[in-house]
Amino acid sequence: MSLVLIVLLPFIGSLIAAFLPSNARNAEAWLAGIVAVTCAVLVADLYPAVASGEVLRVVVPWLPQFGLDFYLRMDGYAWLFAMLVTFMGALVVLYARYYMSPADPVPRFFSFLLAFMGAMVGMVLSGNLIQLAVFWEVTSFTSFMLIAYWYHLSDARHGARTALTVTAMGGLAMLGGMLLLGHVAGGYDLDRVLEAGELVRSHPWYPAIVILVVLGALTKSAQFPFHFWLPHAMAAPTPVSAYLHSATMVKAGAFLLARLWPTLSGTEIWFWIVCLAGLLSLLLGAFSAIFQRDMKGVLAYSTISHLGLVTLLLGMNSRVALVAAVFHMMNHATFKASLFMAAGIVDHGTGTRDLRRLSGLARAMPITATLATVSAAAMAGVPLLNGFLSKEMFFAETVFAGEGPRGHIALPAMATLAGMFSVAYSLRFIHQVFFGPPARDLPRTPHEPTRGMLLPSALLVSACLLVGILPSETVGPFLATAARAILGDAVPTYSLAIWHGFTIPLLMSVLALVGGFFIYLYLYRHRAHGRTPLISRIDGRRTFDVMIIRLIRVAGFVQRLISSRRLQPQLVVMVCTAAVAALVGAHTGQVAWGPMPVSSVDPVFAVLWVVGAVCAIGAAHQAKYHRLAALIMVGGVGLITCLTFAWFSAPDLALTQITVEVVTVVLILLGLRWLPRRIEMDDPRRRTLRARARRLRDMIIASVVGVGMAALVFAVLTRERQLDLARFFVEHSLPQAGGGNVVNVILVDFRAFDTFGEITVVGIVALAVYALLRRFRPAPESIDLPRAQREDTERRHPSAVDPNELLPPGYMMVPAVLVRLLLPMAGLISVFFLLRGHNLPGGGFIGGLVLATIVIVQYMVGGTIWVEARTRIKPLYWIAVGLLLAGTAGMAAWFIGGTFLTSFTYDLYLPLIGELHLSSTLWFDIGVYMLVVGATVLMLVALAHQSLRSYRRPVATSSPSVRAEVDRTAEVSR
Amino acid sequence: MNAWLQHLPVVPVIVPLTAGALMLFLPEARRLRAGLGILAVLMQLVTAVLLAYFTSDAASSIWPQGIGVYSIGKWPAPFGIVLVVDRLSALMLVLTATLALASLVYSLARWDRAGVNFHPLFQLLLMGLNGAFLTGDLFNLFVFVEVMLAASYGLLLHGSGATRVKAGLHYLVVNLVSSLMFLIGVALVYGVAGTLNMADLGPRVAALLPEDRGLFDIGATILGLAFLIKAAAWPLNFWLPSAYTAAAAPVAGVFALLTKVGVYAIIRVGSLLNESGVHGPFGSEWLFVAGIATIVFGIIGMLASQQLARLIAFAVIVSSGTLLAAVGLDADVMTAPALLYLVSSVLATGAFFMVTGMTERMRTHYFESSDQAPLPQVSYSAFGMEDSHDPLDVEDEVGIAIPAAMAFLGLAFVSCALLVAGLPPLSGFIAKFALLSAAVDIAPLNGVHSWVFMAAMLCTGLAALVALTRIGMRLFWSVVGRNTPRLRVIEAAPVAVLVLLCVGLTIAAEPVMAFLQAAADGLISPQTYIDAVLATDPETVADAGGA
Repeated sequence: MSLVLIVLLPFIGSLIAAFLPSNARNAEAWLAGIVAVTCAVLVADLYPAVASGEVLRVVVPWLPQFGLDFYLRMDGYAWLFAMLVTFMGALVVLYARYYMSPADPVPRFFSFLLAFMGAMVGMVLSGNLIQLAVFWEVTSFTSFMLIAYWYHLSDARHGARTALTVTAMGGLAMLGGMLLLGHVAGGYDLDRVLEAGELVRSHPWYPAIVILVVLGALTKSAQFPFHFWLPHAMAAPTPVSAYLHSATMVKAGAFLLARLWPTLSGTEIWFWIVCLAGLLSLLLGAFSAIFQRDMKGVLAYSTISHLGLVTLLLGMNSRVALVAAVFHMMNHATFKASLFMAAGIVDHGTGTRDLRRLSGLARAMPITATLATVSAAAMAGVPLLNGFLSKEMFFAETVFAGEGPRGHIALPAMATLAGMFSVAYSLRFIHQVFFGPPARDLPRTPHEPTRGMLLPSALLVSACLLVGILPSETVGPFLATAARAILGDAVPTYSLAIWHGFTIPLLMSVLALVGGFFIYLYLYRHRAHGRTPLISRIDGRRTFDVMIIRLIRVAGFVQRLISSRRLQPQLVVMVCTAAVAALVGAHTGQVAWGPMPVSSVDPVFAVLWVVGAVCAIGAAHQAKYHRLAALIMVGGVGLITCLTFAWFSAPDLALTQITVEVVTVVLILLGLRWLPRRIEMDDPRRRTLRARARRLRDMIIASVVGVGMAALVFAVLTRERQLDLARFFVEHSLPQAGGGNVVNVILVDFRAFDTFGEITVVGIVALAVYALLRRFRPAPESIDLPRAQREDTERRHPSAVDPNELLPPGYMMVPAVLVRLLLPMAGLISVFFLLRGHNLPGGGFIGGLVLATIVIVQYMVGGTIWVEARTRIKPLYWIAVGLLLAGTAGMAAWFIGGTFLTSFTYDLYLPLIGELHLSSTLWFDIGVYMLVVGATVLMLVALAHQSLRSYRRPVATSSPSVRAEVDRTAEVSR
Repeated sequence: MNAWLQHLPVVPVIVPLTAGALMLFLPEARRLRAGLGILAVLMQLVTAVLLAYFTSDAASSIWPQGIGVYSIGKWPAPFGIVLVVDRLSALMLVLTATLALASLVYSLARWDRAGVNFHPLFQLLLMGLNGAFLTGDLFNLFVFVEVMLAASYGLLLHGSGATRVKAGLHYLVVNLVSSLMFLIGVALVYGVAGTLNMADLGPRVAALLPEDRGLFDIGATILGLAFLIKAAAWPLNFWLPSAYTAAAAPVAGVFALLTKVGVYAIIRVGSLLNESGVHGPFGSEWLFVAGIATIVFGIIGMLASQQLARLIAFAVIVSSGTLLAAVGLDADVMTAPALLYLVSSVLATGAFFMVTGMTERMRTHYFESSDQAPLPQVSYSAFGMEDSHDPLDVEDEVGIAIPAAMAFLGLAFVSCALLVAGLPPLSGFIAKFALLSAAVDIAPLNGVHSWVFMAAMLCTGLAALVALTRIGMRLFWSVVGRNTPRLRVIEAAPVAVLVLLCVGLTIAAEPVMAFLQAAADGLISPQTYIDAVLATDPETVADAGGA
């Protein structure tokens, strides 16, 4: 239970911290401090159980189907890290209380700090690989937010982004590795993975697993070649650097390598990858650290180097090396965090961290100087301090690990060299800052900080000393517990004593100390600061930035290459894809014409179709250059289609086709008026070669697809028809659906649901057209009156029509009379079609279109203003009523025990009229009728009002009707 | 079962239709329309949850096998149209209603006033979506997809402006072509197989003569391509980024679901045709290749995006690609994780689009991004003065503004970013993990495919992270040109609820996954579905149309 608490408390604290007021520095610090200390105490409390070799477990099923449980598992090793994280957390909180300025918005800081703590503890206590990856990413994310805490600084933003990108990349690789590892080991829980060592190492996926997992570890622990993010993460507030980027988070990689060490280590590939990365980081980090200007820069590179040392140890496939690695991780955490704190104190006290400006601070801040000196000595590996012990273990391991004669010499030599560098930068760090003549012109006068800021550092330094002098009495048992947790019974013998006699490692230590001193002396004499020699050109960060920028540029380029924002290419791609896909589909199966005999060609019908084909081709040819001609020819095609339907005895289809054709062509014609003039470049007389080629290409595509479609249709039509559906419809139409016209019965009964949907589509389309045109403003060149109207002197401006006059003047007078006479008859016809639909050709759809047609004609002839002064059709209401009628016709069936749209009839006997046979399908059909009328008229209104609107500007507001138009559009549309 | 409850499957279609129609009577009563809309969506949500409950094991007594069949007009399948509710349909309905509720509430803050007829169109869009998820008939699916598309044309234009009109017209033309292909495909399938009923199709296709088979395959392929256009598979998805970027925030929020209709259709029809081994986009190999190409295209687009909304549009493409590739891996274990991913990614992208609506107000001077060709800024005053719906005129009504708006926006952005990138700890990660885990499990069988899929998934996460960090930093951490927008509770709450739902998906992963696994099982062995639909009850035929 306390395990859950240890992980949960920091997150709860984080949530509370986020909601505290932004100046509550003390409250935040108390909260965070209490959380950290409580967690530390809880962890400490578990030690007896862990020390006895017990493994504490809490398992909560999470996604058991995929082997993912929330599994907290504490053994000695996890305990050691949990202790480190919580204890260090408490110290850093104390330090941060004094470090953060009152002006800083602290809730964000402490909230993310606590969230990080929780994630880190969760990570070390994870008993499930996937859960570990989850917490791993959370630490990356909180680190990102903390580095960018001062996001107004560009360094902070960029540092944060680099860190996040690199660590997240590694994290994803690691996740991949974990998935493979879990699959191979037969489960993601750690116990199983640790037991499956043999199995994993012999599996063919093993190299992939190692590479992916190590990739995650190396990025997180800032190891070569991913080390570059760490120095730039130093833009974070110093407590963050001390906590995340030296003591805990960057150790996560090494932690993981050690955690999975029993399973993954012990092979060549492990040795080479891990050792090489570790060795390079060790040397390059130490070397670069010597030349840094920024105090935190020195510490960052030194961290890379020390983690390199740990990684190298872990890669050596030796048990003692593993113990040494764990030991060094702890030691590094203590002295490095304390050094970071010292750097923060100096920064606070003087206002700068620039090594070139700082000097002789020991006089002004003696306590800080003492603490920093001791920690730096531990970092350099001076005897009697903890750094010395683990470093000597490392030296000893290099002596034993090297293979072959060259390995025997090369590895220890390089280790010693790295030791020298380490001594050199430690010396420089201390000597430059605290000794020498007192610095002048510092931004602030140096002074000793408050005790609260010194205390954490002092505690850490005393730990360095204690461990350094009495290793086996202090850290010994804990280390032994941790080692046993990883290695089980195979714990090697190792000695934590300070004095092992005169040995090669001791010689190496002495060499490192002396050599480091001379290196520093040489550099000090020659004032070689600033650029790192030899490798300054290799700037991982810049390379990375350039890579990201290139990536984005290349992405933009490729995107333009493989996609298009223009419509024509999109359509070409779509049609071609369809054609190719159909060809491929045909290729894989057998395609054949059907066996039905082909009837002989009727010459009349053939002529009809030739006309139709010519119209179709002509329409396509003219579509771009002559819209009117194209539209007329499309109308011709429609007419031929209609005749074809009639020819093959499909009167319903023919009727529908003809009415739809009329209405759509007329509406498009009305819209055509407002389209902008064609682009001159596309004029056929000026056609370029390119345009010709494009048209040729389009023609070929169109022909191929058209021929293909024709072939498909032919293949279907010549096939033996599957008639059971049709037979069912014919058989059941009259007896059960009560309608003689099967087509209509299909529409309003068998498949009424389709009709129901389709009329909704018609209604919606009308609404969409209205939405589009409501704001449409015609192109400037189409605002002028058409020529015919200009030449008609008697004709007035469309918006200046008097709605009360009886007939329009001019040549429209006669047509106006005719169409008005036509209106009632057409209305009657439309109702006739509606009513007879169930048994004879007709129906609501056709009836509605007939009525709509005559309304359109009224508009065209009478003019918008005149018609709308008399209109009784409120299109929006008609659409609504139509939809509701159709819907209620369907729902009414519920009351007689049917399902939605079940048809039923009601025989009513009325006096005088006689028996009335009322069917719910008629009700439904009336809905269709009204909707069709409403939708068509709404589109018409939207188009018609263009003519009023476009003239508004030229005539200004001379006519009252223009002003009225404002209200009318809204009103009529209803 | 209660006599009235049997009509429940048709309710998700009727309710939005009735609400939408009633709204047309109230063009000026915005509040009434809004109230009606909310009421309708709530009813849909309740219905959807009830249907999901009916299909679950908990209520096995209501529908045998958890599949509800509702024959419209009492005409039995395959002659009439049937609505079929199985777990997948119910899941999609719940998802639709949830996202719709969030979007609708969000729109009430300002967007619903940016044009006419927002509310009716919104309801009709839902009608189309619900119908498409419910229907068991191929042509009826076409009809409802048309309903959905027609409404989406209107909604895309909502708010006006040259960008929207241009994007809207492209969207319209592309979808008309795809509808035409849909229709051709349906016609060919009907012409050869002689049925439109999806459940009936499987057995009939299996019984086809070899010489008929090729023609059927062509039909299925064309049909599949139409679905792929809807699902935004590369190279059929160039329309999507511009359209989704141009759409108003709440509209884009529901649009996040639209591509999934295509995916749903592919899964549904694919499952029913599976046994007959059909080629084309319904065949796994092609689907997988298309899916991976779509993912790569989405990744490239995300990286190249300069605008948040555009980036999310590409995230929608990536999520479609992921689903297609997952389905294309053609392994039973992939189905349930794919469904989880579908749910999570729809909620995440929906919420994210709504976040963009709020972040856009953070900029003091809105600048056109560099990847967007500069469009003439349309001055609204030139557009005629007839309406009071100008988006620029829309003033915030006095409402409760939330405190710490920036903190909320930041948190919302980060949550959505994590969800979209599939990073821990939210449901995006769980879904991705489940997919990857399943892919690893089948890796020994299909080798390269699994590895390619895995690499694509991991790269997606990284690319999303890189792109989102870049844009997020520019949005939230740029020093100049930013102001704190006033956020209202009804804008913030929907986003928060959607994100919290994703958190809920993470925590309650086990029961959710159990339901999805059951849904997946229904798809893996469609015989139950087929039997349920085709269980012809002679009595229904006898008294159909009677009364």
